[in-house]
Amino acid sequence: MFKRINPIDLITSIFYIWWLEMKNTIKDEGVLIFFIVVPLLYPLLYSWIYNNEVVRNVPVVVVDKSHTASSRQFITQFDASPDVRTAYFANSVAEAKQIVEAQKANGILYFPEDYERSLYRGEQAHVSIFCDMSLMLTYKAIYQTAMLTSLNLNKNIQKPKSFSFTQRDEELNTEPIHVEEHAIFNTTGGYGNAILPGVLILIIQQTLLLGIGLSAGTARENNRYQDLVPISKHYNGILKIVLGKSMCYFMIYCVITAYITLAVPRIYSFTSFVHPTDLIALMVPYLLAVIFFGMTLSCLVRYRENIILLVVFTSVPFLFLTGLSWPQSNISGIWQGFSWLIPSTFGVRGFLRISSMGASLPDIEPEYQALWIQTIVYFIITCLVYRYQIINARKHAIAHINGIQEKIRNERQKRLAES
Amino acid sequence: MFRRIINIAAREMGQIVRTPIYWFCMVIFPIVIIFFFTSLLEEGQPHNLPCGVVDADNTTTTRALIRTLDAYQSTAIVAHYPTETEARKAIQRNEIYGFLYIPKGTTQQLVSKRQPTISLYYSSVSLAAGSLLFKDLKVATTLASAAMGSAKLQMLGKTEHEIKAFLQPIAIDAHTMGNPWLSYNIYLSAIMIPGILLLFILLITAYSIGTELKFGRSKEWMQMAGKNIHIALIGKLLPQFLIFFTIFVGYEWYVYGYLAFPHPGGLPTMLFLALLSVVSAQGFGVFFFGLMPSLRMSMSLCSLWGMIGFSVCGATYPVFAMDKIIEALAQLFPLRHYFMIYQASIFNGYPLINVWWNVVVLVAFAALPILTVRNIRKAMLSYVYIP
Repeated sequence: MFKRINPIDLITSIFYIWWLEMKNTIKDEGVLIFFIVVPLLYPLLYSWIYNNEVVRNVPVVVVDKSHTASSRQFITQFDASPDVRTAYFANSVAEAKQIVEAQKANGILYFPEDYERSLYRGEQAHVSIFCDMSLMLTYKAIYQTAMLTSLNLNKNIQKPKSFSFTQRDEELNTEPIHVEEHAIFNTTGGYGNAILPGVLILIIQQTLLLGIGLSAGTARENNRYQDLVPISKHYNGILKIVLGKSMCYFMIYCVITAYITLAVPRIYSFTSFVHPTDLIALMVPYLLAVIFFGMTLSCLVRYRENIILLVVFTSVPFLFLTGLSWPQSNISGIWQGFSWLIPSTFGVRGFLRISSMGASLPDIEPEYQALWIQTIVYFIITCLVYRYQIINARKHAIAHINGIQEKIRNERQKRLAES
Repeated sequence: MFRRIINIAAREMGQIVRTPIYWFCMVIFPIVIIFFFTSLLEEGQPHNLPCGVVDADNTTTTRALIRTLDAYQSTAIVAHYPTETEARKAIQRNEIYGFLYIPKGTTQQLVSKRQPTISLYYSSVSLAAGSLLFKDLKVATTLASAAMGSAKLQMLGKTEHEIKAFLQPIAIDAHTMGNPWLSYNIYLSAIMIPGILLLFILLITAYSIGTELKFGRSKEWMQMAGKNIHIALIGKLLPQFLIFFTIFVGYEWYVYGYLAFPHPGGLPTMLFLALLSVVSAQGFGVFFFGLMPSLRMSMSLCSLWGMIGFSVCGATYPVFAMDKIIEALAQLFPLRHYFMIYQASIFNGYPLINVWWNVVVLVAFAALPILTVRNIRKAMLSYVYIP
């Protein structure tokens, strides 16, 4: 295995294997689907699904037992806000509940009979909201709107009672400290803007794993002994095979990655602060780590379609492990450790920060280093696994040759005996 | 006829037991996934999210405000920064999710009634973290502002009752029906896990039919069924149904029985939904294979359907907020209907009649193979496997 390698021979073999792999990729419909069609269309589909970003006009049922000018003022302001609409008016909570049960509204706004009376008596008046909790975003819309409406009305109620002499005095008495709120980076608080950059990077990984696994499965099925590596003068070194194949995948995915990270965010106008040098610096180790990870996995695949069973379902857990929907700071130790094995964990985190938050390479140092470490580790594992495969292939070939020789010998002896 | 079904089922059982990939996809992975989600989200709501402070004023008043903020459940003050730029960079390095900025002279302006301005910055790049942190920051600063007014009113000799009524004339009582803990575990696990189970059912159904062709066993299979495709399919899918149904009920026992997720809908609805989901996903799998009797194409289609289902089921981002075309297309996904029935009849405990449409659609999905079985029969009897 460690005999001296002729560099020209090595390079020719690498290119030969690269050429074969390229040809196989283009000819194999299945691989083509995962390498080209899915990465091209999936991002567009996902972006389309989340394109509206925020939830507007959540339907709410109003139960106004008070029937007064004050309650109507609240309802008008509530309805006028962008996130909710008062879709129905009901006479009792029971009736309102029926409307919610029929999936026509997501919440109830309830004014008790003594609403206005309490206000005018100088007591605290209560407004109740009942939210359907099967959807967090509708709850958030109803709760925040009710909160804001009440704060707004409160200020007007407080002003005449605040012992003020001038308008400025009123303002100071009702708002001693002015608070400015700034949503930074994801300024709209949009759902697509938050979720999609991560999904895009995950798509790169999952399609690569599928494609590599599929082509490895095919190679095995086409081989006479179900080996991953054929016997040929080009396939006699680990480096040749690993470098040749990975070069093919890397070249295809350079184009795909450029499309996914640059074109898709632009088409759907997601926040994108990305700098070319940072992006290239992050994506090169990411792609390499994924490719070697995929090549390691592909050795487990006996039949080409099995890779679909092994990879597709992991997309959702992998997405959760990146800390996209459940904050990274709150992922428990075991899962945190497990997530370090997966390239997408660092790829997504790094990309989110350089693309959605405008960070630069030094800011994502830990992720960047982790990806290179993964690349090296998975490269070594891939080499080891392929070494095992080559030895296996040789064993099979030698056994086959021995079998043939045995046959010839037997035949000869038979002939000798006959003559 | 029953003999034949039993024979085919026994043959299928043998294949399942002998092939490790079935073990993994029908038993091991589903169990791992159930534990993965429920243990990852065990906390319910994220606690102690890291938050920063830029306190250029540094007086007893501002320090008190920071201590109050730190005491909130979702927030943990982890660092002080000298400038806003430093704090912003810390967000970019993923050390904090937001920060509070108190400029110099805030206390001075406050006591001399010149209305100081303080700012809160939060990043919604992680949506859950951003909105929870915003909520805490908002409440803490509003209360700090109110404390000022309260001190003045106390000085004037108002009672506590009066002060409360003055500071907050209208109070909002929020009732979060069904999930009063606002637990993300209840919210997310209850849809992600069934989603993955449905994905496995779709894939395994297509895979098990397709491999008959691939390994050249299709003729033997059809022979056993007397060339009757209905018998062949029923025999084949029966053992898979039993395994998947057991796993699904096991999942329901684990989350509702053991982890006590809210389930006012009760046991019969749960079992009904489990049955409906497994059967409809199997129906969909058979339908897809009949549509394209090629192992690879049908499995790709099943993956597509299973994965898109997570987005268009509308559990995380509501369907009514999506594009109208997507809203209509969402009806074609079993997970969408699962979610509707789950949230109405199990999570909220409403009568099943409210979601009759979704039940009907799932039944229709289960009956979909009727349209394509003839195609499968033809494929099994005459096609050869093309990779």
